[in-house]
Amino acid sequence: MFNIFELGKNYGDNEVLKSITMRIDDGEVICIIGPSGSGKSTFLRCLNLLEVPTSGQIYYDGTLLDDKLDTKRLRREVGMVFQRFNLFPMFTVLKNVMYAPMHVNKMKKKEAEELARSLLAKVGLANKADAYPAQLSGGQQQRVAIARALAMQPKMLLFDEPTSALDPELVNEVLTVMRDLRKEGMSMVVVTHEMGFARDVSDRVIFMDKGYIVEEGAPVEIFNHPKEERTQQFLNRVLVGV
Amino acid sequence: MNILGQLHFSEAAKYLAPSLLHGFGVVVEATIIGFFLATIVGIFIAIGRLFGWKPLKAFLYGLLEIVRGTPLLVQLVYIYYVMPLLINLIAGMFGYKTDVQITPLTAGIAGLAINYGCYMSEVIRAGIVSIDNGQTEAALVLGFGRYETLFRIVMPQALRGIIPSLGNYLVMMIKDTSLLAYVAVNELLLRTQTFASQTFYTIEAYTYLAIAYLILSVPLSHLVKFIEYKLSSASR
Ligand SMILES: Nc1ncnc2c1ncn2[C@@H]1O[C@H](COP(=O)(O)OP(=O)(O)OP(=O)(O)O)[C@@H](O)[C@H]1O
Ligand SMILES: [Mg+2]
Repeated sequence: MFNIFELGKNYGDNEVLKSITMRIDDGEVICIIGPSGSGKSTFLRCLNLLEVPTSGQIYYDGTLLDDKLDTKRLRREVGMVFQRFNLFPMFTVLKNVMYAPMHVNKMKKKEAEELARSLLAKVGLANKADAYPAQLSGGQQQRVAIARALAMQPKMLLFDEPTSALDPELVNEVLTVMRDLRKEGMSMVVVTHEMGFARDVSDRVIFMDKGYIVEEGAPVEIFNHPKEERTQQFLNRVLVGV
Repeated sequence: MNILGQLHFSEAAKYLAPSLLHGFGVVVEATIIGFFLATIVGIFIAIGRLFGWKPLKAFLYGLLEIVRGTPLLVQLVYIYYVMPLLINLIAGMFGYKTDVQITPLTAGIAGLAINYGCYMSEVIRAGIVSIDNGQTEAALVLGFGRYETLFRIVMPQALRGIIPSLGNYLVMMIKDTSLLAYVAVNELLLRTQTFASQTFYTIEAYTYLAIAYLILSVPLSHLVKFIEYKLSSASR
């Protein structure tokens, strides 16, 4: 789906991404791991043009991402889930989920509601349709956010640390939903600190540091036989106690 | 000594009350239309100053400086007396003979809308800025455009947060409609002045005038406080 060549991103003098080259295939689940400040979020946000790259090219389905490809189309097809959920607080859960299908895809209200209810059932929150986001726990809010992204029927979902803002006991309910999505064949790129999830669920793990992809490969390789010194150091630090 | 015995409140009321009642209508009309337009002006100035292109930002900033640097009364007089003259003069220079006139009430409402729109734009701007950028990003990644995001997601939340401040501007505007007397709008003050000068019931007339404004503004300001309280207890 994505072909990325020598992608670079600067904030002023700060080179946050330095020449990232990789491809992401249909149906793939990729986890991106790495220390704080290594550019993981920035990379993810370049994929749906929340950040505009400074250099390099990104091709989406063979089309170069610049003004030629309609940004809105890209965003309809590539959904995103944030660390802090970002649900719309003034809408009910149901309206949060059906809002974009209705107003972006011009879906009829009845259809949008049916779709939203079935997605809420899928993430285990059918009974919360009429609640407001603030009345839900973090884990429930994040599941609503996933349903909201799914409502656009995207081909791929981007997750930026979807469980980092959650109390430890709420992490699993969100990861379970994501595992289910993988079973259904959803393409996903997940920035995460959940090493267990990265090891069990992903097709490929990417280790980023200081704006580079230091190492990438199947989870077994990365976790059991990391080739790079920096990967080993990072894993030693984060895997203590796992 | 009985001060009330010296005054003629009931007689003054008999003749002044019907006139004040009409003045009431004018004040309410000017305030409702003026406030509605001021809100729209305020929203557009706020958005223009936040997201507009540079020349527009500069223009709006200049407008704000002018409006905040001059009294409302001067602005009203300028719109009512000077603007038509200016337009006719300029049209005349291009060889057109025009006789543009503006009715007092239109001039008054326009003045209130522009003046209050400028002040309210600062509040609206702060309201927009206070909304977490995550809201904008969430809407953008769902496929909403920039302006759709602004008007569907950000503005409603921003306005909700500033309803109390806007309410205070509404109460202030009611009282400021008294300045419309100076551009010949037959509102409460002008009617009272006329009445007082004809009857010499000066004390009685202006006392009733003050009461008339109190009747308008006190319940409204309490309503604003009530809404503020409701909003703050509802904001979870
Ligand atoms: N909008 C911005 N303006 C300026 N600098 C930024 C901006 N966003 C990110 N940065 C900088 O870019 C660098 C990489 O940030 P990024 O958020 O991509 O890292 P990350 O790998 O996601 O880290 P974390 O694990 O803490 O989320 C950081 O040094 C950060 O300070
Ligand atoms: Mg990050």
